[in-house]
Amino acid sequence: MENRTNLLRYALGIVYFHFGLLKYFRDLSSAELIAEQTIMKFSLYAFDAHTALLFLATFEVIIGLGFLFNFKPKLIFCLFLLHMAGTFIPLFVFPEIAFKFAPFAPTLEGQYILKNIVFLAAGWAVLYPQIKSKGMKSRVEEK
Amino acid sequence: MKFIKKNAIALLIIVLISTGVYFSYQAYKGTDLSRIPVQVKKTSAQNPYKEAPNSSRITNKGVEQLKVYPSIQKGMRTPFDLWNYYGKGDSSFGSPNLPMRFEQWVDFNKKQKPKLMADVDAYMNGRFNFDSRAIPGQFMSGGRKPIMAGPVTRLPRGIDSFETLADLAPEEIKKRDLFPFKPLAHPIQSTAHMVFPDSWVAIHPQHKRLDVDMDIPEDYLPEFPPPLFLTTHKELGDVTGGQEITLDNFFEMFDGIISPEQMEGLKELLRPTPTTWFNHTSHRITEEPSQGVACLDCHVNGHTNGAFELAPDSRPNMARLRVDTPTMRGNYNLMLLSSKRSIRSMDHFAEVEEYFDGDPGMQQSIGPRAAKREVTNRMGDFNSIIDYPPAPKLNPLMRLIPGKATESELRGEAVFHGKGQCDKCHYGPAFTDDYMHDLQVERFYVGRPEGPIKTFPLRGIKDSPPYLHDGRLPTLADAVEFFNIVLTLKLTKQEKEDLVNYLLAL
Ligand code: HEC
Ligand code: HEC
Repeated sequence: MENRTNLLRYALGIVYFHFGLLKYFRDLSSAELIAEQTIMKFSLYAFDAHTALLFLATFEVIIGLGFLFNFKPKLIFCLFLLHMAGTFIPLFVFPEIAFKFAPFAPTLEGQYILKNIVFLAAGWAVLYPQIKSKGMKSRVEEK
Repeated sequence: MKFIKKNAIALLIIVLISTGVYFSYQAYKGTDLSRIPVQVKKTSAQNPYKEAPNSSRITNKGVEQLKVYPSIQKGMRTPFDLWNYYGKGDSSFGSPNLPMRFEQWVDFNKKQKPKLMADVDAYMNGRFNFDSRAIPGQFMSGGRKPIMAGPVTRLPRGIDSFETLADLAPEEIKKRDLFPFKPLAHPIQSTAHMVFPDSWVAIHPQHKRLDVDMDIPEDYLPEFPPPLFLTTHKELGDVTGGQEITLDNFFEMFDGIISPEQMEGLKELLRPTPTTWFNHTSHRITEEPSQGVACLDCHVNGHTNGAFELAPDSRPNMARLRVDTPTMRGNYNLMLLSSKRSIRSMDHFAEVEEYFDGDPGMQQSIGPRAAKREVTNRMGDFNSIIDYPPAPKLNPLMRLIPGKATESELRGEAVFHGKGQCDKCHYGPAFTDDYMHDLQVERFYVGRPEGPIKTFPLRGIKDSPPYLHDGRLPTLADAVEFFNIVLTLKLTKQEKEDLVNYLLAL
């Protein structure tokens, strides 16, 4: 079972780790604008752009490492779901950037976000079975 | 060992990506796309000296504590503490295109405005105690608007008075982050452009912006409409009769008292022309298309209504300094016009100020004013008869007449020419030396230096609050506290009070 999803796991790990790492280097990530602005706006400007980006970078790198090393699937799954939910926020807080014409004519940024449904499905396919089987095991042990 | 073996692939991936990203960053920094201005050896340009000496990488000195400007698009919010940032823009050139459809642009700005203005109010009230307390018996030259008492700048936590603060060394003020007079940014420095006072917008709704309103309370702005005094008709006093001069009434008001050339110049000063964000195209910040802005929309009646802008002389937009509109009164006496551009004549000013953002490319796209030399000369002709308001206590040598001045004003004059050293830079008929000075205010806080600024004149100064190029000093008392600290003068409370009274008499 695990071997079948290994490829998917590494792929997710690479993308999360790589694109997360980029965000530590000021001005290098192409997602900087939308990521910073979204976090700033969503946090009601409690964060400044720097903090926002560092926060997101750390979040993504942890998820990336989680996928690559396959550790703590439950924790990573939670972080992953949270992150995935976060990536869809710009559709609502910056519809002007995400859509040429909402909701069926996205801009390039909009497409970048909407394609995350594939990520969501992939992450689910990798992590959910592990959590479920572990959860069952522990329940069995309790008995 | 076992861990490495088991995770060999993951580790390899991490090492590869990390080194790849690191080296990409080193190569990317300082290139034309990057916003981090590191100078690197230029290889693309033909260099007659083949290999320039010292052409190795220059690092940015003194910016270690600064942050790089955030990524923004037109219309997006920018930090209020922009002095903490530095960096390069994507390009020096502007584009007449919006980053989205016009309907989306309107929505975007309307949605953003309420929270922005709430944050602006909170920020301004955090910096200033706008209690609208007036100085008893003191009015601006029109005789209607009271002059506000100060200082209204709030002291930093843990400091009980401006005297205590002024006793500290600059390094200490900087280290403990105690400087209360840091620069003031435009509330939205991505779009930037002109922001008019509420009293102006109420009568001229075409200047109501979708995205932002004036951030300084009406009490701390110049009187509106202000009086206009002519060098050529001192006997007439205020020639406007308390009205705003407009394209409709200027002829009646001035026929028979000014020359044909001046009349033509005045008409041009009143004629609106398209600007970067007030115009007929969709690159605008008003809901309806607009005819634009006229010189005297900010310099109302040859004075100022306190509208502010960004100085056009730098890029990116976030590096441009906020500037509030200076008066045109007595400009005939100035050798140096505008805070940084060192413009030498009013004719010339009328030429260059055709486009307020200093972007000739945008001018082509949005509609140039295209005023010919003769026309800008005539605008200069009118500007040069705009006089200062009367200062009945000053003699021809610009000294107080003892019989007319109060004790306090006389003591203030002594401080101005003595302990305060104000006259080192503020002297002559306009109280300016016509030089630019670097006050090096960054000695007192961590921030990007603002560089040299022209000495603004002090004649008639009571009529043009707020003070300093960006209006960060709402009252004259704030200005005196500012200079007391910046010039490390250690003036006493009494001396500062006297100095304010003296400035009110100029
Ligand atoms: C935002 C409204 C605004 C409008 C409209 C405007 N100005 Fe100004 N004016 C300013 C500001 C702000 C400055 C300070 C600029 C600087 O410091 O670089 C200024 C400075 C000046 C000065 C120099 C004053 C000094 O003491 O240094 C002159 C002269 C002047 N403007 C003339 C004009 C003319 C002529 C026009 C019309 C072509 C015009 N202005 C239109 C805001 C405006
Ligand atoms: C080293 C030269 C220098 C000295 C000395 C100096 N000033 Fe100034 N003053 C300037 C400059 C330069 C500006 C404009 C600074 C800016 O806008 O950032 C200015 C601006 C001002 C302004 C605001 C003018 C306006 O239109 O906003 C006031 C008020 C003022 N000075 C008062 C004083 C007083 C009072 C003293 C003495 C205690 C003094 N200055 C001493 C150079 C000087």
